[in-house]
Amino acid sequence: MAPTRKSANGGRDPRTPSPTRNDTASSAASSPERPAGPLSIATPPGDRDTVKVNNSNVTELKHACDDALKRYLSRPELFKQSHLHTDIRLALGWLSVFVAAGTALYGYKVEFEESKPLVWAGLLTYIVLTTIQSAYAYFIEGNIVFVGKRKTFSKRIITERITLSSTTVPAKKAKPPAYSLSLHYVRSTSGGKSLLAKGKTQGSTGYNAFFDGLGTMDQEKFEQWVGELVEQAMEGKSS
Amino acid sequence: MFSEELKSFRRLGIRHVLLQVLNFASVIASGLMIWKGLGLITNSESPIVVVLSGSMEPAFYRGDLLFLTNPASELYQTGDITVYKIPGQDIPIVHRILETHDLVQKKKEKRAGLLPRQLLLTKGDNNAVDDIDLYRGIDWLERKHIVGKVRG
Repeated sequence: MAPTRKSANGGRDPRTPSPTRNDTASSAASSPERPAGPLSIATPPGDRDTVKVNNSNVTELKHACDDALKRYLSRPELFKQSHLHTDIRLALGWLSVFVAAGTALYGYKVEFEESKPLVWAGLLTYIVLTTIQSAYAYFIEGNIVFVGKRKTFSKRIITERITLSSTTVPAKKAKPPAYSLSLHYVRSTSGGKSLLAKGKTQGSTGYNAFFDGLGTMDQEKFEQWVGELVEQAMEGKSS
Repeated sequence: MFSEELKSFRRLGIRHVLLQVLNFASVIASGLMIWKGLGLITNSESPIVVVLSGSMEPAFYRGDLLFLTNPASELYQTGDITVYKIPGQDIPIVHRILETHDLVQKKKEKRAGLLPRQLLLTKGDNNAVDDIDLYRGIDWLERKHIVGKVRG
């Protein structure tokens, strides 16, 4: 029942699949040592708050999808979100705010001519910090919305890393605006030295598939779509 | 009123809250920095001022905005419109320079490239007398009292 997939360890003994599987999982077969994918872990139905957004604002639609994504993939037994990007942005941002506040306060208290050198210093520091922050957000963070890591222990400690980036594909003549999601998934072991699986997938669906006319989000449908993409990446497919 | 927001804050987590507050704070911070930067570039304590009185009509009316600079390398001349502050008074006054007296420079100051010290007398266009009364005791204005020269 488990044909060998593209993962690197085709010749091992198949292990029993993770115990939380149920029959709604899209890929019933599992390659050896493959940890559970998100579709196999069901969300208790009472757990969800309704999400309602403004239908005409594409930014809000994207943010609603991103937030739903984060909630979905951060459930227990699934990935643990890495807050590195957020923390760096917060640190740089708050530092620049404090520099600005301090400089302004100093300039207010001290006589203009005397205060000039320090105010110059403060202003330049603020500009440098803001530039670093913008450069970081543009070049390094880019469109990434979720970075997750998971460590499971079957025979060895398996570490997985998944990175998701999302963009909005703007609407064209007949096509509604779409949510485009790309995933990058790596599964490795022995402290990252031996690669077990690697996958990169990409998918886009129009926002109208997840949001109805009033703006309420159909979270189950969204989660199903995301779960399929993630499981595809976990299989090691590249698309 | 706040219970909805508190609920969503708890759901979204502390980082989200910090990010939102940061957005707000950085708008204010950038405004402050732009103001300070403008002040540094024009070398003036308050580069944009509002005209409060009618003493410069018909040139300026109450409510007009003035852009100031305070070039350290130029002498002030008769006819320049300046904004000055008398120490001890809070409100800056915008009037035209009537007389300037450039003091003889000591050799040391001339070599350093500094401008000679100037003594200035001002008068509002629409006033009948010059500003001696407004000076509250001092006889002449000096450069250090001047916030800037009107540019536009």
